[in-house]
Amino acid sequence: MSLQELDANRFEEIIYDNCEPCLVIFRRKTCHVCKEVVPILEELQPQYEGKFGFYYVDAEEVKSLLQRFSLKGVPQILFFNEGEYRGKLAGKIEEETIEEKIAEVLGA
Amino acid sequence: MVNSYDLIIIGGGPAGLSAAIYGGRAKLKTLVINKGTIGGLADTTREIVNYPGYIQVSGPDLMKDFQKHAKHFNVEFLKEEVISVDFSQEDKLIKTKKGKEFSAKAVIVACGSEPRILNIPGEKTLRGSGVAYCATCDAEFFEGEDVVVVGSGDQAIEEGMYITKFARKVTVIVLHDEGILDCNKVSAERAFNNGKMEFIWNSTIEEVLGKENVEGVKIKNIKTGTSSQLICQGIFFFVGMIPSTHFLKDSGLEIEKSGYIPANDRMETNLEGIYAVGDNRVKYLRQVVSAAGDGATAAVAAERYIAELKDFNANILKNDKKILLLFFNVLINESLEFSTLLERLISENGDEYKIFKVDMATKKHLAGKYEIGKVPAVVVLDKGNVIKRLDCSMDKEKLKSQLF
Repeated sequence: MSLQELDANRFEEIIYDNCEPCLVIFRRKTCHVCKEVVPILEELQPQYEGKFGFYYVDAEEVKSLLQRFSLKGVPQILFFNEGEYRGKLAGKIEEETIEEKIAEVLGA
Repeated sequence: MVNSYDLIIIGGGPAGLSAAIYGGRAKLKTLVINKGTIGGLADTTREIVNYPGYIQVSGPDLMKDFQKHAKHFNVEFLKEEVISVDFSQEDKLIKTKKGKEFSAKAVIVACGSEPRILNIPGEKTLRGSGVAYCATCDAEFFEGEDVVVVGSGDQAIEEGMYITKFARKVTVIVLHDEGILDCNKVSAERAFNNGKMEFIWNSTIEEVLGKENVEGVKIKNIKTGTSSQLICQGIFFFVGMIPSTHFLKDSGLEIEKSGYIPANDRMETNLEGIYAVGDNRVKYLRQVVSAAGDGATAAVAAERYIAELKDFNANILKNDKKILLLFFNVLINESLEFSTLLERLISENGDEYKIFKVDMATKKHLAGKYEIGKVPAVVVLDKGNVIKRLDCSMDKEKLKSQLF
């Protein structure tokens, strides 16, 4: 199942208004590492249905967010819960690492 | 249930896809298992200008053509990661991360390489915050900033030039003496003429500096031993690649310390039915065109190996008569003379035995299987089991007494 895209407004809504526990991957169309990481998220997503949100943003479309989180590079997965930023994972990330991070975010 | 194939190719880069094309065309039941996007390292290359027939093509486009070609010959594809193998039996077993199991008569290892990590302080922690490995992905994040590039191979210099489109300045850290780059001459000349590129010679990186973001690097001059700091907002590492062969560590496959697999000119490894190609093997040139050549060679070698295996199983191991496996080599006259003698002896004495001649030059795996060192040599089989090894005497009576 493909991830839902967030624009800058939806990002504010989901993260800060709804305070949803979720991850957001910042990716670009031309990034080959993103092409490896995004499918991992797409496969993980169904397991967390209703418990943890999976979203993506196009790094080229949301330059303001890049600055806010001082992101320099893609892919990066940012984690949120209760309207708070809970850390990030950068580069070529393995499935296990993502699952551990989700568990940590949900457990905290 | 284990899915069985004739040929399984681990890796879907240029070498693996070429092997798939040849395997599919030879009507082998062929599966490519590939963990990332199809195309391997070539998929990350913006521009390829030296693949015959394509004056200029992007890596992803060329690789899509390769895959389309393989699919045309009914090759199957599976997007998964192979985590373990068992190459000890005639049917080779392969396990994926999601627990799927496959078996194959022959396996081609074509899983390519991954960027080397230097493991210096700051490299891991600042990844994505200024530390980068892919210019296409990340160069635009450094608009108007100062960037350091580590390395001087084709990738380092070409990617470095790409970064100058965005960055204010690109400083290349080079291990060698002034003026010496590892990359091709055309790129070196272009880099030297690029006003935004600077070079620091005889040097390496000791540490990436910064708390939240990269703020600079610590550079060490390897000739003088002195360290200095350079302020920058980004650092790209292009310090070479290492073969992704770690999952084969306990497979019995011979692997060099560097991770490369030694293979002969037929891409055969030390294990029969297992081949290594492209960036996985010890070789001179690492290009798409040579990877494709490796793939073709391995697939043809695998096809012949599988044909021999099937032929042997059908005609020899299940034969009602006793089989004399006669090993010969056309270059060794004695083995040819012996062959003539044995054939005459058998034809004169009824039909208890059937001779199966094995050319040592082409059927090495059989020689290996029956531990044949020199020719002539004869192994007597009954229903596939070794019941005797002959003393290959040129004395007809002596020979006869061993058989009748």
